Amino acid sequence: MGKEELYNRLFELVGYMLTSARGLIDEPQLYGPFRLIDGVSRLCGFLDEKTGYGDFFINLKEKIDEGKFLVMTDTDAFVKLLDDAVLDYTEKMKEENTT
Amino acid sequence: MELKKALLDRRSVRQFEERDVEKELLQELLVAGIWSPTAGNIQPWVFFCITERVRIHRIQVVSPGMLGNPQALICVCSDQNRAFEKAGQGGKILALMDCAMAAQNIMLRAHDLGLATCVIRSFNQTAVRELLEAPGHIVPELLINIGYTVKQPSKPSRNMELVHWEYYREDING
Repeated sequence: MGKEELYNRLFELVGYMLTSARGLIDEPQLYGPFRLIDGVSRLCGFLDEKTGYGDFFINLKEKIDEGKFLVMTDTDAFVKLLDDAVLDYTEKMKEENTT
Repeated sequence: MELKKALLDRRSVRQFEERDVEKELLQELLVAGIWSPTAGNIQPWVFFCITERVRIHRIQVVSPGMLGNPQALICVCSDQNRAFEKAGQGGKILALMDCAMAAQNIMLRAHDLGLATCVIRSFNQTAVRELLEAPGHIVPELLINIGYTVKQPSKPSRNMELVHWEYYREDING
């Protein structure tokens, strides 16, 4: 990813986060976790195969995007998606032994 | 399309084909909005139809609830000056209700025409107004994503029991 593309994508992510922060004051409670997990998906999109950061971020993004709309139809399944994502992340952290 | 079918089959769609929406169809949607019910025939609305990719993208950046890839947008706005002039302080809520009914008309007509939609309130009203270059008394109330659906979403659950016949009862099923 070139410097200009990275800037543009970061700029858009900042817009998403800023307007989410303002909007969530007046929005349903479950929109909070949704915006955060959607934000994680967008961030993972920065670290796709072109950047050489490996499959972890690609797989995490795919998993999130596949299930994130469950927030509107099946809260339990949405919570499980979050739990699974946290577990995946934790296992990756142990595996890499970096934190 | 039969009205009942339109009512029951309409879904919120977030994934659209990369395909322009014909201007003639968008005009049909706007007509449907204009013919919505409105308190005292005030018509406290203003419709913005957005088709340029750059403008859609900019609005999307400040609209966390706008997911997917809409090919066109209609922004249903209230005109607070007209609402207040005709209905006083109550005009604000009436305008919001009228805008909501206009949005529903637009979405049903879209479904009738083979288009898909998703209505959104999760956007920054100030930022969207700025991007629309609209004056302060024009308030963006709802955004409607429009396009051709990739696939029809499945049927969500609905509670058919939230109805009271004749009078309120604690136990609706009693």
